[in-house]
Amino acid sequence: MMAKNRPRIALVIGSGSVKCASALGLMKVFERENIEVNLVVGCSGGAIYAALIALGWPVEKATEATLRMWTHEVTGKRSSRAMLQLALPWIYKFDESFGLIDDRLLNRRLRDGFDGATFAQTRIPLFVTAADLYNGEQVVMSAGTIAEAVRASISIPYIFPPHKVDGRFLVDGYLSDPLPIGVAIKEGADIIIAMGFESPYQEQVSSLMRYNFQISSVTSNNLLKTNFAFHNLAHHSEIIPIIPEFEQRIKLFDTNKLPYVIEEGERAAEQQLPYIKQLLGR
Amino acid sequence: MKPKKRIALVIGSGGIKCAAAIGMWRVLQDEGIQVDSVVGCSGGSMYGALIAKHADVGEMNELSKVMWTSDIMQGYTANLKASKDGTLRFNERSGLVDDTVLNEKLKQVFGGLTFADSQVPLKIVATDMLTGEKVTLSEGSLFDAIRASLAIPIIFPPWEVDGRLLIDGGASDPLPIDVAIQDGADIIIAMGFTLDYRIRFRSMTAVQEQLNSIYMNNILTSTYAFYNLAHHAEIFPILPEFDRALSMFDVDKIPDVVERGEQATRQQLPHIKRLLSSFQEI
Repeated sequence: MMAKNRPRIALVIGSGSVKCASALGLMKVFERENIEVNLVVGCSGGAIYAALIALGWPVEKATEATLRMWTHEVTGKRSSRAMLQLALPWIYKFDESFGLIDDRLLNRRLRDGFDGATFAQTRIPLFVTAADLYNGEQVVMSAGTIAEAVRASISIPYIFPPHKVDGRFLVDGYLSDPLPIGVAIKEGADIIIAMGFESPYQEQVSSLMRYNFQISSVTSNNLLKTNFAFHNLAHHSEIIPIIPEFEQRIKLFDTNKLPYVIEEGERAAEQQLPYIKQLLGR
Repeated sequence: MKPKKRIALVIGSGGIKCAAAIGMWRVLQDEGIQVDSVVGCSGGSMYGALIAKHADVGEMNELSKVMWTSDIMQGYTANLKASKDGTLRFNERSGLVDDTVLNEKLKQVFGGLTFADSQVPLKIVATDMLTGEKVTLSEGSLFDAIRASLAIPIIFPPWEVDGRLLIDGGASDPLPIDVAIQDGADIIIAMGFTLDYRIRFRSMTAVQEQLNSIYMNNILTSTYAFYNLAHHAEIFPILPEFDRALSMFDVDKIPDVVERGEQATRQQLPHIKRLLSSFQEI
Protein backbone atom coordinates (compact mmCIF):
# COMPACT_ATOMS: atom_id res chain seq x y z
CA MET A 1 0.00 0.00 0.00
CA MET A 2 1.23 3.43 -0.83
CA ALA A 3 1.97 5.73 2.05
CA LYS A 4 -0.15 8.82 2.27
CA ASN A 5 1.55 11.65 0.41
CA ARG A 6 3.34 14.07 2.63
CA PRO A 7 2.01 17.63 2.38
CA ARG A 8 4.02 19.79 -0.01
CA ILE A 9 5.36 22.90 1.66
CA ALA A 10 5.99 26.08 -0.28
CA LEU A 11 7.91 29.08 0.98
CA VAL A 12 6.89 32.42 -0.55
CA ILE A 13 9.16 35.40 0.10
CA GLY A 14 7.66 38.76 -0.74
CA SER A 15 9.32 42.03 -1.70
CA GLY A 16 11.08 43.95 1.07
CA SER A 17 14.74 44.56 0.12
CA VAL A 18 17.20 43.65 2.88
CA LYS A 19 14.36 42.63 5.19
CA CYS A 20 13.85 39.59 2.96
CA ALA A 21 16.95 38.08 4.59
CA SER A 22 14.56 37.15 7.41
CA ALA A 23 13.90 34.09 5.26
CA LEU A 24 17.36 32.84 6.20
CA GLY A 25 16.33 33.00 9.87
CA LEU A 26 13.22 31.03 9.06
CA MET A 27 15.32 28.38 7.30
CA LYS A 28 17.52 28.06 10.39
CA VAL A 29 14.42 27.16 12.41
CA PHE A 30 13.14 24.77 9.74
CA GLU A 31 16.50 23.01 9.47
CA ARG A 32 16.65 22.52 13.23
CA GLU A 33 13.13 21.08 13.17
CA ASN A 34 13.74 18.97 10.07
CA ILE A 35 10.94 20.70 8.17
CA GLU A 36 11.55 20.32 4.49
CA VAL A 37 10.52 23.03 2.04
CA ASN A 38 9.45 21.59 -1.34
CA LEU A 39 9.38 24.72 -3.47
CA VAL A 40 10.30 28.40 -3.15
CA VAL A 41 8.77 31.50 -4.70
CA GLY A 42 10.44 34.90 -4.50
CA CYS A 43 9.60 38.44 -5.51
CA SER A 44 11.99 41.41 -5.69
CA GLY A 45 14.37 41.29 -2.69
CA GLY A 46 12.67 38.01 -1.80
CA ALA A 47 13.84 36.56 -5.13
CA ILE A 48 17.47 36.78 -3.99
CA TYR A 49 16.83 34.73 -0.86
CA ALA A 50 14.43 32.34 -2.58
CA ALA A 51 17.21 31.56 -5.04
CA LEU A 52 19.84 31.09 -2.32
CA ILE A 53 17.49 28.76 -0.43
CA ALA A 54 16.55 26.81 -3.57
CA LEU A 55 20.23 26.33 -4.32
CA GLY A 56 20.54 24.80 -0.86
CA TRP A 57 23.28 27.16 0.29
CA PRO A 58 23.75 27.15 4.06
CA VAL A 59 22.86 30.34 5.95
CA GLU A 60 26.50 31.45 6.29
CA LYS A 61 27.22 31.03 2.59
CA ALA A 62 23.96 32.77 1.69
CA THR A 63 24.79 35.68 4.01
CA GLU A 64 28.23 36.04 2.49
CA ALA A 65 26.79 35.96 -1.01
CA THR A 66 24.36 38.76 -0.07
CA LEU A 67 27.13 40.86 1.37
CA ARG A 68 29.12 40.48 -1.83
CA MET A 69 26.21 41.25 -4.13
CA TRP A 70 24.28 43.98 -2.37
CA THR A 71 26.27 47.04 -1.34
CA HIS A 72 25.95 50.79 -1.86
CA GLU A 73 28.23 50.54 -4.88
CA VAL A 74 25.52 48.93 -7.04
CA THR A 75 23.69 52.24 -7.08
CA GLY A 76 26.86 54.28 -6.98
CA LYS A 77 27.17 55.02 -10.65
CA ARG A 78 24.58 57.20 -12.28
CA SER A 79 23.63 56.23 -15.78
CA SER A 80 25.06 58.86 -18.11
CA ARG A 81 22.43 57.96 -20.66
CA ALA A 82 19.66 58.65 -18.13
CA MET A 83 21.21 62.01 -17.29
CA LEU A 84 21.25 62.92 -20.97
CA GLN A 85 17.69 61.68 -21.41
CA LEU A 86 16.54 63.96 -18.60
CA ALA A 87 18.61 66.95 -19.69
CA LEU A 88 18.25 66.73 -23.46
CA PRO A 89 15.16 64.63 -24.13
CA TRP A 90 14.89 65.94 -27.69
CA ILE A 91 18.25 64.42 -28.60
CA TYR A 92 18.52 61.44 -26.28
CA LYS A 93 15.12 59.88 -26.73
CA PHE A 94 13.34 58.77 -23.64
CA ASP A 95 12.22 55.15 -23.81
CA GLU A 96 11.09 52.19 -21.73
CA SER A 97 14.63 51.24 -20.70
CA PHE A 98 15.00 54.32 -18.49
CA GLY A 99 16.77 53.89 -15.15
CA LEU A 100 18.77 56.42 -13.15
CA ILE A 101 21.48 53.94 -12.24
CA ASP A 102 24.05 52.32 -14.47
CA ASP A 103 23.23 48.66 -13.81
CA ARG A 104 26.37 47.03 -15.17
CA LEU A 105 27.95 46.53 -11.75
CA LEU A 106 24.70 45.06 -10.36
CA ASN A 107 24.45 42.63 -13.27
CA ARG A 108 28.05 41.51 -12.77
CA ARG A 109 27.56 41.13 -9.02
CA LEU A 110 24.46 38.98 -9.51
CA ARG A 111 26.21 36.79 -12.08
CA ASP A 112 29.19 36.26 -9.77
CA GLY A 113 27.06 36.01 -6.62
CA PHE A 114 24.94 33.19 -7.99
CA ASP A 115 28.00 31.66 -9.59
CA GLY A 116 26.29 31.31 -12.96
CA ALA A 117 23.68 28.93 -11.51
CA THR A 118 20.58 28.07 -13.53
CA PHE A 119 17.09 27.08 -12.41
CA ALA A 120 17.93 23.51 -13.46
CA GLN A 121 20.64 23.37 -10.80
CA THR A 122 18.43 24.17 -7.81
CA ARG A 123 17.72 21.43 -5.29
CA ILE A 124 14.03 22.31 -5.07
CA PRO A 125 11.89 24.11 -7.67
CA LEU A 126 12.34 27.88 -7.71
CA PHE A 127 9.96 30.51 -9.11
CA VAL A 128 10.86 34.17 -9.46
CA THR A 129 8.22 36.81 -10.25
CA ALA A 130 8.42 40.13 -12.08
CA ALA A 131 5.86 42.42 -13.74
CA ASP A 132 5.51 43.12 -17.46
CA LEU A 133 6.05 46.86 -17.94
CA TYR A 134 3.71 46.92 -20.93
CA ASN A 135 0.63 45.27 -19.49
CA GLY A 136 1.18 44.97 -15.74
CA GLU A 137 0.83 41.21 -15.72
CA GLN A 138 2.71 38.99 -13.36
CA VAL A 139 5.50 37.07 -15.09
CA VAL A 140 6.75 33.87 -13.45
CA MET A 141 10.27 32.72 -14.33
CA SER A 142 11.42 29.16 -13.72
CA ALA A 143 14.06 28.50 -16.37
CA GLY A 144 17.35 29.99 -17.52
CA THR A 145 20.00 31.67 -15.39
CA ILE A 146 19.01 32.68 -11.89
CA ALA A 147 20.92 35.96 -12.03
CA GLU A 148 18.84 37.13 -15.03
CA ALA A 149 15.53 36.33 -13.33
CA VAL A 150 16.57 37.95 -10.06
CA ARG A 151 17.79 41.02 -11.94
CA ALA A 152 14.37 41.41 -13.58
CA SER A 153 12.57 40.89 -10.29
CA ILE A 154 14.51 43.68 -8.54
CA SER A 155 14.12 46.35 -11.24
CA ILE A 156 12.99 49.07 -8.83
CA PRO A 157 11.16 51.60 -11.03
CA TYR A 158 13.28 54.67 -11.95
CA ILE A 159 16.33 53.32 -10.12
CA PHE A 160 17.27 50.31 -12.24
CA PRO A 161 16.32 49.97 -15.90
CA PRO A 162 13.68 47.33 -16.64
CA HIS A 163 15.29 44.04 -17.64
CA LYS A 164 14.55 42.35 -20.93
CA VAL A 165 13.84 38.63 -20.63
CA ASP A 166 12.49 36.63 -23.59
CA GLY A 167 11.59 39.84 -25.39
CA ARG A 168 9.55 41.28 -22.51
CA PHE A 169 10.50 44.36 -20.53
CA LEU A 170 10.25 43.31 -16.90
CA VAL A 171 10.05 45.49 -13.81
CA ASP A 172 10.02 44.80 -10.09
CA GLY A 173 7.66 41.96 -9.18
CA TYR A 174 5.97 43.98 -6.45
CA LEU A 175 4.10 46.00 -9.06
CA SER A 176 1.89 43.02 -9.84
CA ASP A 177 1.91 41.19 -6.49
CA PRO A 178 4.25 41.97 -3.58
CA LEU A 179 3.65 38.52 -2.04
CA PRO A 180 3.04 36.04 -4.88
CA ILE A 181 1.15 33.32 -3.00
CA GLY A 182 -0.81 32.58 -6.18
CA VAL A 183 2.26 30.96 -7.74
CA ALA A 184 2.55 28.47 -4.86
CA ILE A 185 -1.18 27.71 -5.13
CA LYS A 186 -0.87 26.97 -8.84
CA GLU A 187 2.09 24.70 -8.15
CA GLY A 188 -0.13 22.63 -5.89
CA ALA A 189 1.39 23.40 -2.49
CA ASP A 190 -0.60 22.13 0.49
CA ILE A 191 1.00 24.35 3.07
CA ILE A 192 2.18 27.82 2.12
CA ILE A 193 4.54 29.71 4.37
CA ALA A 194 4.15 33.31 3.28
CA MET A 195 6.77 35.76 4.44
CA GLY A 196 5.68 39.28 3.62
CA PHE A 197 6.76 42.82 4.37
CA GLU A 198 5.02 46.16 4.23
CA SER A 199 6.82 48.91 2.33
CA PRO A 200 8.02 51.65 4.66
CA TYR A 201 6.48 55.10 4.40
CA GLN A 202 8.69 58.12 3.92
CA GLU A 203 9.58 60.07 7.04
CA GLN A 204 9.58 63.23 4.98
CA VAL A 205 8.29 63.83 1.48
CA SER A 206 10.92 66.34 0.43
CA SER A 207 11.39 65.66 -3.28
CA LEU A 208 9.53 64.38 -6.31
CA MET A 209 11.43 61.09 -6.03
CA ARG A 210 10.47 60.61 -2.38
CA TYR A 211 6.93 61.50 -3.30
CA ASN A 212 7.07 58.72 -5.88
CA PHE A 213 8.35 56.27 -3.29
CA GLN A 214 5.58 57.27 -0.91
CA ILE A 215 2.91 56.63 -3.55
CA SER A 216 4.58 53.32 -4.41
CA SER A 217 4.41 52.28 -0.77
CA VAL A 218 0.76 53.31 -0.50
CA THR A 219 -0.29 51.34 -3.56
CA SER A 220 1.90 48.31 -3.01
CA ASN A 221 0.82 47.93 0.61
CA ASN A 222 -2.79 48.06 -0.49
CA LEU A 223 -2.04 45.49 -3.19
CA LEU A 224 -0.32 43.29 -0.61
CA LYS A 225 -3.31 43.36 1.73
CA THR A 226 -5.93 42.76 -0.87
CA ASN A 227 -4.08 39.93 -2.62
CA PHE A 228 -3.38 38.27 0.69
CA ALA A 229 -7.03 38.55 1.73
CA PHE A 230 -8.13 37.02 -1.57
CA HIS A 231 -5.73 34.08 -1.51
CA ASN A 232 -6.55 33.36 2.09
CA LEU A 233 -10.23 33.19 1.30
CA ALA A 234 -10.03 31.40 -2.02
CA HIS A 235 -7.43 28.80 -1.25
CA HIS A 236 -8.36 25.69 0.60
CA SER A 237 -4.91 24.68 1.71
CA GLU A 238 -3.19 26.40 4.57
CA ILE A 239 -1.53 29.76 4.27
CA ILE A 240 0.65 30.69 7.20
CA PRO A 241 1.71 34.33 7.23
CA ILE A 242 5.06 35.11 8.77
CA ILE A 243 5.50 38.84 9.14
CA PRO A 244 8.74 39.74 10.92
CA GLU A 245 8.63 42.95 12.92
CA PHE A 246 11.46 45.41 12.93
CA GLU A 247 11.95 48.08 15.51
CA GLN A 248 14.94 49.42 13.67
CA ARG A 249 14.36 51.04 10.32
CA ILE A 250 15.99 48.91 7.62
CA LYS A 251 17.01 50.90 4.58
CA LEU A 252 17.72 49.68 1.06
CA PHE A 253 21.42 48.93 1.68
CA ASP A 254 21.53 48.23 5.41
CA THR A 255 23.36 44.95 4.89
CA ASN A 256 25.22 45.65 8.15
CA LYS A 257 21.88 44.86 9.80
CA LEU A 258 21.70 41.39 8.24
CA PRO A 259 22.36 39.53 11.52
CA TYR A 260 19.54 41.49 13.18
CA VAL A 261 17.21 40.87 10.22
CA ILE A 262 17.95 37.13 10.25
CA GLU A 263 17.30 37.03 13.99
CA GLU A 264 13.91 38.69 13.59
CA GLY A 265 13.05 36.15 10.88
CA GLU A 266 13.97 33.39 13.30
CA ARG A 267 11.79 34.93 15.98
CA ALA A 268 8.79 35.30 13.66
CA ALA A 269 9.19 31.69 12.49
CA GLU A 270 9.37 30.39 16.07
CA GLN A 271 6.03 32.06 16.78
CA GLN A 272 4.28 30.10 14.04
CA LEU A 273 6.22 26.88 14.63
CA PRO A 274 3.70 25.17 16.97
CA TYR A 275 0.97 25.65 14.37
CA ILE A 276 3.13 24.41 11.49
CA LYS A 277 4.10 21.30 13.49
CA GLN A 278 0.47 20.64 14.28
CA LEU A 279 -0.36 20.79 10.57
CA LEU A 280 2.42 18.32 9.89
CA GLY A 281 1.02 16.00 12.53
CA ARG A 282 4.02 16.26 14.81
CA MET B 1 -43.67 40.93 3.84
CA LYS B 2 -39.94 40.97 3.46
CA PRO B 3 -38.28 44.38 3.47
CA LYS B 4 -37.30 45.76 0.11
CA LYS B 5 -33.84 44.84 -1.15
CA ARG B 6 -31.34 47.65 -0.94
CA ILE B 7 -29.53 48.57 -4.15
CA ALA B 8 -26.16 50.32 -4.02
CA LEU B 9 -24.33 51.90 -6.92
CA VAL B 10 -20.53 51.95 -6.87
CA ILE B 11 -18.65 54.07 -9.42
CA GLY B 12 -14.92 53.43 -9.56
CA SER B 13 -11.99 55.60 -10.59
CA GLY B 14 -11.34 56.06 -14.30
CA GLY B 15 -10.93 59.73 -15.21
CA ILE B 16 -13.00 60.77 -18.18
CA LYS B 17 -14.28 57.21 -18.60
CA CYS B 18 -16.37 57.76 -15.46
CA ALA B 19 -18.76 59.75 -17.69
CA ALA B 20 -20.06 56.30 -18.60
CA ALA B 21 -21.98 56.56 -15.30
CA ILE B 22 -24.30 59.01 -17.09
CA GLY B 23 -25.32 56.21 -19.45
CA MET B 24 -25.87 53.87 -16.54
CA TRP B 25 -27.98 56.43 -14.69
CA ARG B 26 -30.11 56.94 -17.81
CA VAL B 27 -30.84 53.20 -18.07
CA LEU B 28 -31.64 52.84 -14.37
CA GLN B 29 -34.05 55.77 -14.52
CA ASP B 30 -35.71 54.47 -17.71
CA GLU B 31 -36.25 51.11 -16.09
CA GLY B 32 -37.49 52.57 -12.82
CA ILE B 33 -34.77 50.89 -10.79
CA GLN B 34 -34.41 52.77 -7.56
CA VAL B 35 -30.96 53.25 -6.10
CA ASP B 36 -30.71 53.33 -2.30
CA SER B 37 -27.12 54.43 -1.83
CA VAL B 38 -24.16 55.58 -3.90
CA VAL B 39 -20.39 55.13 -3.49
CA GLY B 40 -17.89 57.01 -5.65
CA CYS B 41 -14.13 56.99 -6.03
CA SER B 42 -11.92 59.53 -7.84
CA GLY B 43 -13.58 60.55 -11.15
CA GLY B 44 -16.48 58.34 -10.10
CA SER B 45 -17.09 60.51 -7.04
CA MET B 46 -18.26 63.47 -9.17
CA TYR B 47 -20.82 61.41 -11.04
CA GLY B 48 -21.75 59.53 -7.88
CA ALA B 49 -22.47 62.80 -6.08
CA LEU B 50 -24.72 63.99 -8.90
CA ILE B 51 -26.61 60.69 -9.03
CA ALA B 52 -27.05 60.78 -5.25
CA LYS B 53 -28.70 64.18 -5.54
CA HIS B 54 -30.86 62.87 -8.39
CA ALA B 55 -29.41 65.25 -10.95
CA ASP B 56 -30.74 64.87 -14.47
CA VAL B 57 -28.70 63.52 -17.34
CA GLY B 58 -28.40 66.98 -18.90
CA GLU B 59 -26.82 68.41 -15.78
CA MET B 60 -24.34 65.54 -15.69
CA ASN B 61 -23.42 66.04 -19.34
CA GLU B 62 -22.84 69.71 -18.59
CA LEU B 63 -20.42 68.80 -15.79
CA SER B 64 -18.46 66.53 -18.13
CA LYS B 65 -17.99 69.32 -20.64
CA VAL B 66 -16.81 71.74 -17.97
CA MET B 67 -14.44 69.33 -16.23
CA TRP B 68 -12.43 67.46 -18.82
CA THR B 69 -10.53 70.23 -20.52
CA SER B 70 -6.81 70.73 -20.64
CA ASP B 71 -6.85 73.98 -18.64
CA ILE B 72 -7.13 71.95 -15.42
CA MET B 73 -3.54 70.88 -16.08
CA GLN B 74 -2.09 74.38 -15.98
CA GLY B 75 1.57 74.77 -15.16
CA TYR B 76 2.21 71.07 -15.53
CA THR B 77 5.13 71.16 -17.98
CA ALA B 78 6.79 74.14 -16.34
CA ASN B 79 6.48 72.62 -12.89
CA LEU B 80 7.80 69.29 -14.09
CA LYS B 81 10.91 71.02 -15.43
CA ALA B 82 11.28 73.04 -12.25
CA SER B 83 11.03 69.91 -10.11
CA LYS B 84 13.74 68.24 -12.16
CA ASP B 85 16.28 71.03 -11.79
CA GLY B 86 15.37 71.47 -8.13
CA THR B 87 13.85 74.99 -8.27
CA LEU B 88 10.50 73.49 -7.31
CA ARG B 89 10.91 71.85 -3.96
CA PHE B 90 8.49 69.01 -3.46
CA ASN B 91 6.81 68.19 -0.21
CA GLU B 92 3.80 66.12 0.82
CA ARG B 93 1.44 68.96 -0.08
CA SER B 94 2.79 69.45 -3.60
CA GLY B 95 1.54 68.47 -7.00
CA LEU B 96 2.91 69.21 -10.44
CA VAL B 97 -0.24 71.05 -11.41
CA ASP B 98 -1.51 74.33 -10.06
CA ASP B 99 -4.98 73.28 -8.90
CA THR B 100 -6.65 76.71 -9.04
CA VAL B 101 -8.61 75.96 -12.20
CA LEU B 102 -9.61 72.49 -11.05
CA ASN B 103 -10.87 73.89 -7.75
CA GLU B 104 -12.82 76.65 -9.48
CA LYS B 105 -14.53 74.17 -11.76
CA LEU B 106 -15.42 71.81 -8.95
CA LYS B 107 -16.76 74.72 -6.91
CA GLN B 108 -18.94 75.80 -9.84
CA VAL B 109 -20.74 72.47 -9.64
CA PHE B 110 -20.39 71.39 -6.03
CA GLY B 111 -19.56 74.58 -4.12
CA GLY B 112 -21.85 75.05 -1.13
CA LEU B 113 -23.27 71.54 -1.34
CA THR B 114 -22.87 69.07 1.48
CA PHE B 115 -23.49 65.33 1.79
CA ALA B 116 -26.79 66.25 3.46
CA ASP B 117 -28.04 67.62 0.11
CA SER B 118 -28.09 64.11 -1.35
CA GLN B 119 -31.41 62.32 -1.84
CA VAL B 120 -29.85 58.99 -0.90
CA PRO B 121 -26.79 58.26 1.27
CA LEU B 122 -23.53 59.03 -0.52
CA LYS B 123 -20.00 57.91 0.36
CA ILE B 124 -16.79 59.12 -1.26
CA VAL B 125 -13.54 57.24 -1.03
CA ALA B 126 -10.03 58.72 -0.81
CA THR B 127 -6.64 57.51 0.47
CA ASP B 128 -4.63 58.78 3.42
CA MET B 129 -1.40 60.03 1.86
CA LEU B 130 0.71 59.30 4.93
CA THR B 131 -0.63 55.93 6.07
CA GLY B 132 -1.97 54.51 2.80
CA GLU B 133 -5.33 53.69 4.38
CA LYS B 134 -8.63 53.96 2.62
CA VAL B 135 -10.72 56.85 3.96
CA THR B 136 -14.51 56.95 3.50
CA LEU B 137 -16.09 60.41 3.62
CA SER B 138 -19.82 60.79 4.26
CA GLU B 139 -20.36 64.22 5.73
CA GLY B 140 -19.38 67.82 5.32
CA SER B 141 -18.49 69.66 2.14
CA LEU B 142 -18.95 67.77 -1.13
CA PHE B 143 -16.33 69.90 -2.80
CA ASP B 144 -13.71 68.90 -0.21
CA ALA B 145 -14.54 65.21 -0.49
CA ILE B 146 -14.53 65.13 -4.29
CA ARG B 147 -11.38 67.23 -4.54
CA ALA B 148 -9.58 64.81 -2.19
CA SER B 149 -10.84 61.74 -4.01
CA LEU B 150 -9.68 63.21 -7.35
CA ALA B 151 -6.12 64.06 -6.28
CA ILE B 152 -4.22 61.98 -8.85
CA PRO B 153 -0.87 61.24 -7.19
CA ILE B 154 1.94 63.59 -8.20
CA ILE B 155 -0.30 65.47 -10.65
CA PHE B 156 -2.71 67.24 -8.26
CA PRO B 157 -1.73 68.33 -4.75
CA PRO B 158 -3.29 66.24 -1.95
CA TRP B 159 -6.27 67.81 -0.16
CA GLU B 160 -6.68 68.15 3.58
CA VAL B 161 -9.94 67.01 5.13
CA ASP B 162 -10.40 66.87 8.92
CA GLY B 163 -6.66 67.14 9.48
CA ARG B 164 -5.77 64.25 7.17
CA LEU B 165 -3.89 64.71 3.93
CA LEU B 166 -5.85 62.80 1.29
CA ILE B 167 -5.11 61.60 -2.24
CA ASP B 168 -6.91 59.71 -4.99
CA GLY B 169 -9.12 56.89 -3.74
CA GLY B 170 -7.76 54.75 -6.57
CA ALA B 171 -4.48 54.39 -4.68
CA SER B 172 -6.17 52.24 -2.04
CA ASP B 173 -9.25 50.82 -3.76
CA PRO B 174 -10.23 51.84 -7.31
CA LEU B 175 -13.68 50.18 -7.04
CA PRO B 176 -14.72 50.37 -3.38
CA ILE B 177 -17.42 47.71 -3.34
CA ASP B 178 -16.75 46.99 0.33
CA VAL B 179 -18.16 50.36 1.36
CA ALA B 180 -21.49 49.25 -0.09
CA ILE B 181 -21.12 45.85 1.58
CA GLN B 182 -20.53 47.47 4.96
CA ASP B 183 -23.63 49.59 4.49
CA GLY B 184 -25.66 46.43 4.12
CA ALA B 185 -26.55 46.63 0.43
CA ASP B 186 -28.21 43.49 -0.95
CA ILE B 187 -27.58 44.24 -4.60
CA ILE B 188 -24.47 46.09 -5.71
CA ILE B 189 -24.14 47.53 -9.18
CA ALA B 190 -20.44 48.25 -9.62
CA MET B 191 -19.15 50.26 -12.56
CA GLY B 192 -15.38 49.92 -12.84
CA PHE B 193 -12.68 50.92 -15.31
CA THR B 194 -9.20 49.69 -16.02
CA LEU B 195 -6.56 52.29 -16.73
CA ASP B 196 -5.00 52.25 -20.16
CA TYR B 197 -1.50 51.00 -20.81
CA ARG B 198 0.96 52.85 -22.96
CA ILE B 199 2.84 51.57 -25.93
CA ARG B 200 5.51 54.27 -25.89
CA PHE B 201 7.49 55.85 -23.10
CA ARG B 202 8.69 59.22 -24.21
CA SER B 203 9.02 60.91 -20.86
CA MET B 204 9.43 60.25 -17.18
CA THR B 205 5.78 61.13 -16.63
CA ALA B 206 4.79 58.51 -19.20
CA VAL B 207 6.67 55.96 -17.12
CA GLN B 208 4.93 57.24 -13.98
CA GLU B 209 1.51 56.97 -15.57
CA GLN B 210 2.30 53.44 -16.67
CA LEU B 211 3.33 52.46 -13.13
CA ASN B 212 0.12 53.98 -11.76
CA SER B 213 -1.90 51.98 -14.28
CA ILE B 214 -0.13 48.76 -13.35
CA TYR B 215 -0.71 49.24 -9.62
CA MET B 216 -4.28 50.38 -9.83
CA ASN B 217 -5.34 47.73 -12.34
CA ASN B 218 -3.78 45.03 -10.18
CA ILE B 219 -5.48 46.38 -7.06
CA LEU B 220 -8.77 46.55 -8.99
CA THR B 221 -8.53 42.94 -10.15
CA SER B 222 -7.64 41.60 -6.78
CA THR B 223 -10.13 43.60 -4.68
CA TYR B 224 -12.86 42.72 -7.13
CA ALA B 225 -11.98 39.01 -6.94
CA PHE B 226 -11.97 39.23 -3.16
CA TYR B 227 -15.31 41.01 -2.77
CA ASN B 228 -16.96 38.68 -5.22
CA LEU B 229 -15.80 35.70 -3.25
CA ALA B 230 -16.36 37.09 0.21
CA HIS B 231 -19.68 38.78 -0.24
CA HIS B 232 -22.93 36.93 -0.21
CA ALA B 233 -25.07 39.61 -1.75
CA GLU B 234 -25.17 40.04 -5.49
CA ILE B 235 -22.55 42.10 -7.26
CA PHE B 236 -23.22 43.10 -10.86
CA PRO B 237 -20.09 44.34 -12.56
CA ILE B 238 -20.57 46.91 -15.28
CA LEU B 239 -17.33 47.28 -17.19
CA PRO B 240 -17.74 49.49 -20.24
CA GLU B 241 -15.39 48.66 -23.08
CA PHE B 242 -13.55 51.22 -25.15
CA ASP B 243 -11.94 50.61 -28.52
CA ARG B 244 -8.99 52.82 -27.87
CA ALA B 245 -7.16 54.56 -25.08
CA LEU B 246 -8.84 57.79 -24.01
CA SER B 247 -6.86 60.82 -22.99
CA MET B 248 -8.04 62.82 -20.03
CA PHE B 249 -9.19 65.59 -22.32
CA ASP B 250 -11.06 63.77 -25.07
CA VAL B 251 -14.10 65.95 -24.39
CA ASP B 252 -15.47 65.28 -27.87
CA LYS B 253 -15.50 61.56 -27.08
CA ILE B 254 -17.83 61.98 -24.09
CA PRO B 255 -21.07 61.16 -25.97
CA ASP B 256 -19.44 57.89 -27.02
CA VAL B 257 -18.31 57.18 -23.45
CA VAL B 258 -21.87 57.76 -22.19
CA GLU B 259 -23.19 55.47 -24.91
CA ARG B 260 -20.76 52.71 -23.89
CA GLY B 261 -21.89 53.07 -20.30
CA GLU B 262 -25.47 52.64 -21.40
CA GLN B 263 -24.64 49.55 -23.49
CA ALA B 264 -22.68 47.93 -20.67
CA THR B 265 -25.57 48.55 -18.26
CA ARG B 266 -28.15 47.16 -20.68
CA GLN B 267 -26.11 43.96 -20.93
CA GLN B 268 -26.53 43.37 -17.21
CA LEU B 269 -30.11 44.57 -17.10
CA PRO B 270 -31.84 41.18 -17.61
CA HIS B 271 -29.86 39.73 -14.70
CA ILE B 272 -30.57 42.68 -12.44
CA LYS B 273 -34.29 42.60 -13.29
CA ARG B 274 -34.55 38.86 -12.78
CA LEU B 275 -33.00 39.19 -9.35
CA LEU B 276 -35.30 42.09 -8.44
CA SER B 277 -38.42 40.23 -9.55
CA SER B 278 -37.42 37.11 -7.62
CA PHE B 279 -37.21 39.27 -4.52
CA GLN B 280 -40.61 40.78 -5.18
CA GLU B 281 -42.26 37.37 -5.55
CA ILE B 282 -41.03 36.43 -2.11
